[in-house]
Amino acid sequence: MTHAVTRRKWIAGAAGAATMAAGCARPSAPRAASVSIVRAPAYDQTLYDTVRRVLALQRLEVSGRHVVIKPNLVEYEPESAINTSPLVVHAALEGFRALGAASVRIAEGPGHRRNTLDLAEAAGYFRLVPHFEDLFVDLNLDDVSAVPLPRPFSRLKRLYLPHTVLGADLVVSLAKMKTHHWVGATLSMKNLFGTVPGGVYGWPKNVLHWAGIDESVADLHSVYGRQFAMVDGVVGMEGNGPIQGKARPVGVLVAGRDPVAVDATCCRIMRIDPLRLGYLRMAAESGAPLAEAHIRQTGENIAAVATQFELVPEFRALRLEGG
Amino acid sequence: MSFDALADKQNADGGWPYRRGSSWTEPTAYAALAMLAAGEKARARKAIAWLRGLEGADGGWRPRPGVEDSTWVTALVALVPREEFGAAAHDRAVGWLVDVTGAESGAVVRLRSWLLGEAPNPDARFAGWPWMEGSAAWVEPTALAILALEREPERRNARLRAAEGRRFLMNRRCSSGGWNHGSTHAVGYATKEYPESTGRALAALAGEPKAALERSIGLARGFLDESRSADAINWLRLGLTAQGAPLERYRPPEEVVYRMVPEIALDLLLSAGPAGYSLLLGNPAAGGRR
Repeated sequence: MTHAVTRRKWIAGAAGAATMAAGCARPSAPRAASVSIVRAPAYDQTLYDTVRRVLALQRLEVSGRHVVIKPNLVEYEPESAINTSPLVVHAALEGFRALGAASVRIAEGPGHRRNTLDLAEAAGYFRLVPHFEDLFVDLNLDDVSAVPLPRPFSRLKRLYLPHTVLGADLVVSLAKMKTHHWVGATLSMKNLFGTVPGGVYGWPKNVLHWAGIDESVADLHSVYGRQFAMVDGVVGMEGNGPIQGKARPVGVLVAGRDPVAVDATCCRIMRIDPLRLGYLRMAAESGAPLAEAHIRQTGENIAAVATQFELVPEFRALRLEGG
Repeated sequence: MSFDALADKQNADGGWPYRRGSSWTEPTAYAALAMLAAGEKARARKAIAWLRGLEGADGGWRPRPGVEDSTWVTALVALVPREEFGAAAHDRAVGWLVDVTGAESGAVVRLRSWLLGEAPNPDARFAGWPWMEGSAAWVEPTALAILALEREPERRNARLRAAEGRRFLMNRRCSSGGWNHGSTHAVGYATKEYPESTGRALAALAGEPKAALERSIGLARGFLDESRSADAINWLRLGLTAQGAPLERYRPPEEVVYRMVPEIALDLLLSAGPAGYSLLLGNPAAGGRR
């Protein structure tokens, strides 16, 4: 009972914080952010050390906190570049545990397929993450609360969102580095679409499309409290992403406390101009750093790992000049 | 799956969770049908009482307590037999289904498109059902709405909507003959079909000419041989049965795991024979309703 009351307070608090954050959001001067780019040439055991190094570079304090890792789990293609690698997810899980997190859960709500556990099994999560089923929450079917959007970018006035994410001390968007045929690129911010419950909105979560995809991404970014972004760019996806594109090895993990800065950095690595992505521009109105001058890179520099991603014709105008 | 595996998951409020935790409309509707098929009237009535409390102000049904919007789950509620659910509430659910269409085929979007001089949207030719009002129509909510409305032969508007829904499904069939969530192409590329969606669509297309569905039925048979997903297997069994394909000897592979309440309930319904099939397809002969 005590736990339930605490959880409700958390959710009320999170909703309130989101309200306040959105209410005094725009416009603000850009703040500075730090983004780590670390080489990760292959999906192998070295990833565990690599992730720990990333977390150390970012000086994350999660001792005693409840962490929710949200991977990008989309389709049943075990050897494809669609989903966040389960090895990266497990490395992150171990990394946050090593930092003393009170709990670390994995949570996802896929947008097309209803059988989330079947999907996770086919994608290798059961095989590579010990006790996966005990750690996992299907966000499509989690308990939900209505969260108001007082100053939304989209025409939505509220969103029903899952308690597991609203109640987390730290939401870790563990995304895949991919192009996207509707918004240009899908990285840590677009990955938050998977926190919107299919049990309420359906499969796909088409209400968000009608409300504007870019706008909905910016709204979701604004409602969650403390976030951390990590992007699996060991092998990304180019062309007709997020499902039918081609694998594109880059050999990096990109991470930071500010999802806007992390996604902007990923774009530059992919040779995409982040200033031309709608949802990044919207999110930057609240002071999130988008310009390269406001983002301090640690680890590798962008030029050393830059890998031009093929873009579908509709998005070729997004190409970073000089790319 | 055993009956107890389902019965044990019923919450004290009468509803069922998806797996564990609080009650939702979808698992409760499937479980209520399974309880009716099993003759467990007391459990079914408790579930129906819970479902009746989830009616929205607009005559549709909400997916769970705390959510104000009516959604696609209204079709599942309308599958509960009228005499068990209560005539007035049942008729409101059917009325809601008759009135709701995907936004892309609605008057507002069509008028806007016409005023802007846009080419007609080929996906908006036939009205299907959305997951939630104000968004587009998709395969699963359309298939379930058809199953519900086919059981209302005395209501002309229900028959007409169901017939248009079947045309919607045929229009959203992938080039392989199967179905996915409802997109046949993405940015010019053909998309892949899903086993479970193919089963759902075939169930809703009972009575369509066999020649038109030959490829789809063949694909579904292949899926059934290969699939290890409980949800996919359930819907493929139902879809193939609706299409008159003999499955009396079919038994799901032993390694299939039935984790979710809708999976357990549907398996029990399908294992109950004609009594179970008729609750979903409306005809114990299971070979077409029209």
